[in-house]
Amino acid sequence: MQVYVLVWIGSICLVGAEVLLAYAHLRTPVLLAALLVLAFLEAGAALLFFMHLKYERPTLFWSLIPALVFVFLLMDHLWPDALRLSSLRAP
Amino acid sequence: MADSAMTAQAGTAHAGVLEHSPFGIRTPKLAMWLFIMADAATFGAILFAYGYLRVGAVNWTRPFAFFPSILNGIVMTVVLLTSSLTMLTAVVAAQRGRVATCVRWMGVTALLGAAFAALHLREWFKMFHEGWSPSTNPLGGPAQFGATFFGITGLHLLHVTCGVIAILVIALLVRRGRLTAAAVETTGLYWHFVDLVWMFVFPLVYLMNAR
Repeated sequence: MQVYVLVWIGSICLVGAEVLLAYAHLRTPVLLAALLVLAFLEAGAALLFFMHLKYERPTLFWSLIPALVFVFLLMDHLWPDALRLSSLRAP
Repeated sequence: MADSAMTAQAGTAHAGVLEHSPFGIRTPKLAMWLFIMADAATFGAILFAYGYLRVGAVNWTRPFAFFPSILNGIVMTVVLLTSSLTMLTAVVAAQRGRVATCVRWMGVTALLGAAFAALHLREWFKMFHEGWSPSTNPLGGPAQFGATFFGITGLHLLHVTCGVIAILVIALLVRRGRLTAAAVETTGLYWHFVDLVWMFVFPLVYLMNAR
């Protein structure tokens, strides 16, 4: 239980850091990158400790996580079109 | 592989007869992991869609003031994180055979989940009152803000609601001796996943839109 409590405290600290960053007047891309890094840290800790992935056989991790990461990488194909839209203006 | 073979993966009773699971876990737990992966892709897709619309919009709206919206979001996050901890306490109690303690902590988890849903609905109704809807933006920016905000948070709220119901049902069945610690652990996996999704929704949907 001690490890779980430490992860819980760490997660709350990360949430605090996210809120501070949101009001640090960073440029939007920098803020997005910083928030994503902190969110992935939180999610990683939750996956490994709360969801016990750290204590399961490695085959479970390697069967699930790389496939999900690959799906998310495929979704990144959308960004060039979104950036194109942002540069369009009505005449 | 047949369910019976997966369930008997420990292989003590059927060693040498049935194939061992390559994952070393019981079938319901593996099924929950597969569901979680599929659901993660679903949430990923709607968060990517939100990102697409946000990047593509020229004058995206940032409606959330620190008080009450961001503060409400912080409280919701702490409540959900705490509910993960209470769920873990229930799992540990179940694995040690302490049924009453397990049921009590599952009850606390369900209460925290209900509190999260109540806080979420309070935020929603405040926004409805201000004129927000999935197709209306009272601040004059793109209407897609409401569509993505209510879509993403609504799907998450649906998961929380289903989780609270599942936890209560499983707790009842554990109390009656019809389910074991394995069921509590599998339910806990789902609950932690709901918490994990919120770890992305809060910064991306709330903090990125803070005034």
